[in-house]
Amino acid sequence: MKLEDYKLGGTALRSSDIKQGRVLSTSWEPDLAYAWDDGVAIGRYLAELKNGRIIGRACHTCNRIMIPPRMFCELCFRPSDEWVILEDTGTVNTFSIVHVNWDASRRGPKEKPLIPAVIEIDGASEGMGIMHMLGGVDPDEITIGMRVKAVWKKPEEREGAITDILHFEPVRPKATKQRAGRKR
Amino acid sequence: MAITEKITNTTKPTYWEGSIPVNYVYTYGLAGEKFFRAIKDKGTFLATRCDECDVSYVPPKIYCDRCFAELDEYVDVGTLGFVETFTVSFMNMDGSEREEPKVLAMIRIDGTDGGLIHYIEGIALEDVCIGMPVQAIFKPKAKRTGAIDDIIGFGPIGRTR
Repeated sequence: MKLEDYKLGGTALRSSDIKQGRVLSTSWEPDLAYAWDDGVAIGRYLAELKNGRIIGRACHTCNRIMIPPRMFCELCFRPSDEWVILEDTGTVNTFSIVHVNWDASRRGPKEKPLIPAVIEIDGASEGMGIMHMLGGVDPDEITIGMRVKAVWKKPEEREGAITDILHFEPVRPKATKQRAGRKR
Repeated sequence: MAITEKITNTTKPTYWEGSIPVNYVYTYGLAGEKFFRAIKDKGTFLATRCDECDVSYVPPKIYCDRCFAELDEYVDVGTLGFVETFTVSFMNMDGSEREEPKVLAMIRIDGTDGGLIHYIEGIALEDVCIGMPVQAIFKPKAKRTGAIDDIIGFGPIGRTR
């Protein structure tokens, strides 16, 4: 028996049935406002973004530099040891090409797709990165391992938010990727 | 080793303000559709009844909770009822204080085993009591949309608008 032939229960509706009132409905948009404490690490991270800098946190026991910064190391559970200013360049670890908006509505044919990516930040340990958007690049040209640089908002427009970086854009490839760890 | 960073100014912890965007559109289902149409078009309540279990449902159900029989006869049970239980609300949905306290009650519809939760209107706070007879007060027909707030509340017998 084909799936198409199977008689499912329920009543099929179209969105026009609801919009045109052939079927009654109730709707609501609750106001889910929140204020979320940044904490010490993210508080400093956001404040440094306003200054145009990306800051990480080092664990000397594990020889790791973490981004986003954490006040404790989740591998050894010790408090982390010091702040480390990082570069605003990095490497694409992974990315998605997204044809829908946040609310799952389709982006129009003239709208460019959104490209969220995880970018490993230079100066942090390998694999440590932040999630942000890629911009100024054709989706077909993006590769994993591609070198990118942050494009910042103008200083007077920054608010101490992750959006103080507009997006990351490709740069000319370097010969070697910067490695992490304490300098000997 | 102690944590080396401290927040020394407790009036200035930083925080991020936001709002989670979420909304819904909800249809009523087969029985709910008939129930709210009757409120909208006729200003009355419908029930379905299971004869086997001797129970009648307001709002109506398409099957019996107890024996799963299919219930497809809708009966007009009118708009009279009595206060089964009530509470006095001093707070709005957003947590702010109401200007005037409002009574919310579970109203048992006469002749049925079901009822509705709604406001009590037009009865002084101190006069509301369990068992008191009430009647549904509806918005004018032109203003009804087929929603629970087509009913303004339940008030003294004889007052319908």
